[in-house]
Amino acid sequence: MVANDVRYTEVLRIEALGKSFKGTPVLSNVNLTVHRGETVAIIGPSGSGKTTLLRSVNFLAPYDSGKILLNGKLMGYVERGGRLQPDTDANISRLRRSTGMVFQRFALFQHRTVLQNLIEGPVHVLGLSRELACERARTALKTVGLSDKIDQYPARLSGGQQQRVGIARALCMEPDILLFDEPTSALDPELVGEVLSVMRQLRGQNRTMLIVTHEIGFAADVADRVVFMEAGAIIDDRPAREFFGKPNNARIEAFLARHRNERSSSI
Amino acid sequence: MIEFAATYAGLYFKGLLLGLGLTVAAMAGAFLIGLFVALARLSQRGWLRAAGGAYVALFRGIPPLVLLYLVYFGLPAWAAQVGNPFLIALLGPLDNRLLAATLAFSVNAGAYTTEIIRASIQALPADQMEAAKSIGMTHGLAMRRIVLPQSLRIAFPPLCNEFIVILKGTSLASVIGVTELMRSAQMVAAATFLNLQAYILAAMFYVVAVIVLQTLSSLIELKLLAGSTTGD
Repeated sequence: MVANDVRYTEVLRIEALGKSFKGTPVLSNVNLTVHRGETVAIIGPSGSGKTTLLRSVNFLAPYDSGKILLNGKLMGYVERGGRLQPDTDANISRLRRSTGMVFQRFALFQHRTVLQNLIEGPVHVLGLSRELACERARTALKTVGLSDKIDQYPARLSGGQQQRVGIARALCMEPDILLFDEPTSALDPELVGEVLSVMRQLRGQNRTMLIVTHEIGFAADVADRVVFMEAGAIIDDRPAREFFGKPNNARIEAFLARHRNERSSSI
Repeated sequence: MIEFAATYAGLYFKGLLLGLGLTVAAMAGAFLIGLFVALARLSQRGWLRAAGGAYVALFRGIPPLVLLYLVYFGLPAWAAQVGNPFLIALLGPLDNRLLAATLAFSVNAGAYTTEIIRASIQALPADQMEAAKSIGMTHGLAMRRIVLPQSLRIAFPPLCNEFIVILKGTSLASVIGVTELMRSAQMVAAATFLNLQAYILAAMFYVVAVIVLQTLSSLIELKLLAGSTTGD
């Protein structure tokens, strides 16, 4: 957000991103930059490409054209003679370490305890010693308030607790950017609050976060910037206060009005 | 019948043990084949997928008895006919009955095991692979550490079923002279002319063995489930 120092603080840069599925465009000419310490919320109607955009960032969803740069490094492709060619699985995996993802349906490793879920990446991907990884895991669990569940299996936890473990698992990799894919959409309403409050806490620690969400109130409250997507394109990208203060588009205004009525629930 | 059973139970039991040993060896081979061919069938590379598909189509199509004849009578004879020392060294040992039966049953059951393991991998929610990749795992590491350990639990009951199918299939090995349970029954029948008793006793041995195996597999299954869903 320090305007004249952009080159050093840019964690994610998306340039002219495009993707189509069987001839139908899913993303078209998407440009987005996220700086270190920034929290950016992506909102918009269902099917507008929010999740696809988020999954392009760590290449779980490959894109067709444009570029995704993580800390200045091209994700998913290598440039050879001015042309983009698919990168190797090993290189893509290595670059993914700078991202952490929180999934809509938690996606915890069901055959592993909470602790084992958290140290899996640090030990087997980063090559940390078990002691160091466990230390990280305990710190992360404290952050999400689940220190007492360290030896539980995921199936024994509530949805809200599972999602907090999901956040802790991402934190244990110490990524440069956290990607949230509708982290509260699969939760019972009374469990949404505990997950949002953990995310709010991460915001307080100046983590870099890109959040796809339907919790408009939360976005208004926590995001530095709001990106509005429709039909695979970004049609607004402004500081949150401006965005909500004065919607500059009738469709956005209608969308916000609809959501204010439906979901006045979020804290 | 009781007297008959008491007289020949020892001989039958020896035959059963041999059949079980053959089954364990064939199952081990089938499991290895199944694991690799299943991974090939799910590979990103088209030619691997095609090769895996061809394996299943071919060996699911050949009746095990035909395969047994091919391996035991066909291959060593062909090697000798060609006269190539390398082929003779490679295929010559197949004139050993047990080795030929193990190979034939492994290759045959391998086709079914492939489909069991492939289906089990696909039965796992896709987000397990995605979550593993999201923490920086390569496809191979994610398979080994996250996907296969869970998939093989799903595969366990049908794999036990396959084990039982192989065990009963070992009776076919009697035709190339492997002295398993069925062969023992044939020898007793030939010696005593008590065909009905000889084969009823064999049937009973198979049934009891299968019941024991089923019970064992259910017990192990419960243990496996306890590990993943309920925790402490």
